[in-house]
Amino acid sequence: MSRLSPEQREKRRDLIFGSLLLAFSVVWTGTVYFTVPVGRGVGVGPQAFPLYLGASLIGLSALLLLNAWFAKGQAMDVPDDEEPDMVPIAGWPLARLIVSVCLVIMAYGYLMQSAGFVIATMLVVAFTLWVVVGVRRPVLVVGMSVGITAVSWLVFGQILGAYIPRGTWISLF
Amino acid sequence: MELLFSAATVALAPGALLAVFLGSLLGVIFGAIPGLTFTVAMALVVPVSFSLETAPAIGMLLGTYIGGMTGGSVSAILLGIPGTPSAAATVMDGYALTKRGKASLALGTAVAASAFGGLVSLIVMIVSVDIVAKLALHFGPAETFALLLFGLSTICGLSQRSLLKGLVAGVLGLMIMTIGVDEMEGVRRLTFGTVTLQQGINLLVAMIALFAVPHVIDAFVKYYRSDTPPDGVSDVRVELPTLRDLGKTFWLMLRCSLLGTGIGAIPGTGGPIAAFLAYAHARKVSREPEKFGRGSMEGVVAPESANNAVTGGTMIPLLSLGIPGDPGTAILLSGLLIHGLTPGPMLFIQHPGEIYQIYLAIIVSYLCVVAIQLVGIRFFVQLLRVPAHLLAVGIIVMCGYGSFSIRNSVFDVYTVAILGVLAYGLIKARIPLTPIILGIVLGPSLEREFRTALILSGGDASVFWTSAPTIIFMGLAVVVIGTQVVRSVHATFTPKKSGISRDASVKSEK
Repeated sequence: MSRLSPEQREKRRDLIFGSLLLAFSVVWTGTVYFTVPVGRGVGVGPQAFPLYLGASLIGLSALLLLNAWFAKGQAMDVPDDEEPDMVPIAGWPLARLIVSVCLVIMAYGYLMQSAGFVIATMLVVAFTLWVVVGVRRPVLVVGMSVGITAVSWLVFGQILGAYIPRGTWISLF
Repeated sequence: MELLFSAATVALAPGALLAVFLGSLLGVIFGAIPGLTFTVAMALVVPVSFSLETAPAIGMLLGTYIGGMTGGSVSAILLGIPGTPSAAATVMDGYALTKRGKASLALGTAVAASAFGGLVSLIVMIVSVDIVAKLALHFGPAETFALLLFGLSTICGLSQRSLLKGLVAGVLGLMIMTIGVDEMEGVRRLTFGTVTLQQGINLLVAMIALFAVPHVIDAFVKYYRSDTPPDGVSDVRVELPTLRDLGKTFWLMLRCSLLGTGIGAIPGTGGPIAAFLAYAHARKVSREPEKFGRGSMEGVVAPESANNAVTGGTMIPLLSLGIPGDPGTAILLSGLLIHGLTPGPMLFIQHPGEIYQIYLAIIVSYLCVVAIQLVGIRFFVQLLRVPAHLLAVGIIVMCGYGSFSIRNSVFDVYTVAILGVLAYGLIKARIPLTPIILGIVLGPSLEREFRTALILSGGDASVFWTSAPTIIFMGLAVVVIGTQVVRSVHATFTPKKSGISRDASVKSEK
């Protein structure tokens, strides 16, 4: 199986990113053009700035694509975190990890409002350690979930006097 | 003088001192742990500072900023891994001194040089910031727009390894800030009929998402790669150098501090550049240049005094013009805005007391940092042994709670999660995050000044190239971008000899 060189990886990355960016900027510009009113009076209205920015991004992403396309054979920076001896995590495992972190944070927000800070924090820390990170030491998982919850409750709520959500399902502390 | 006394009463109150101490402690800890930077700490501290009075809140943020800048030297000296990019130059001689059994003295010298650099830059800042602010008082909307554009172009152009990607990032940041209700005409922009988007993307939410969430993902990725945690640090303490030793390097510290202040005052440059330039200078003027890299104390003094002097330097454009020079000061700016302090020339007229409070908070921060390092170094050494993925779990809690507490809104937590994942994607695509955050911070002012200038001129765009300040700032922006374009073209047609990264800016933004 052939491995991509750092230059090829960089080029592929720039091509993918440039294409996504171009699509995004076109959608942005179109949405601004059709949904934001031009405004009234002298000078420029509310539409102008986002429209200029969208147009600028179209130009920049096109340049990025061209730059990547013609970068064949050019020596490029080797990313520091992708040394050849590193075992990379990519593809499905990486996507699963990223989605997990995203969902954990979202679930934490939902739980904080409904179950309150204390329950939400304990559950989220335990879940992250056990499921996302894969820690299989119950003492560490329980200790960390209780410890982090207690310390943050103490610092945020008691020392700094910040609002601690109590939840709508059940009220603790 | 009366103003100074009243400011001291507020800034030196027990609550304010405790806040500065906590901020400094957090900054030193985050700065000391490789991978965790003070930028992450500051992004997490801002929402917490919400509930505090102005003086403690700003003191806490300043403490985090200064503590983080100093704390980076701990792991640089003990492990040979810079805690922050600014401490990268300290590794060369700091770690060599550790290997020679002089870790305690190296740490002590670094602390002393850091405090010296920081305080020298504070003096320069106090003197110059007022002058710059008085000049800026004469600026109208067109001049301010040109100045902001220059600041943004400098940041996009100077701090990144790819000008194109820096510009892409800057434009993305500016685009984010246009979402929500337009403040001049009250028109909804890109809200898609939702109420939650009418307030736009909250600045703090964006900061947490851009800096903290990618760090969490990165820590888990490295855990799966089975990166081994740093090891080999034995019991250490901080041993301050004698006055005689400090006297020998006094002029070097002073020169490097002034160098760091000057570099810090240029938006987009920052600590790493200052530290490496100071290191090169120290080596050039040293009587024993052959000792550099093998454990020269001058090799620790120079970068540490320079990178800490950057903190004062970056405050000059921040306070006088409202232009943040690095991610740290961008977050600081958001903290100031939350508490009703809008940096710029009017700040000195409307809030002179708060200006003195900021000066005092900086002095207290340095005292706290020295005390924390002297007393707590044994504790930090233990922290360096905690695996990064376990610390990341704690950061998830801070991200979630921090974003929720800004407006008690779950929507903000969801936004952090989604923007954070997108930010991780941007980092993987080698898009620098600093221009994004500065685009978000400077965007509203940029658009407001642009539109106000055109309204005042009756739609005549020549207002942007008729006054001397606009010509100067626009010209400088063109020079900065033009220089980078020439360099990029030159680099494209010149084969490189090694794959060493040109700078650490992308990594530094995590």
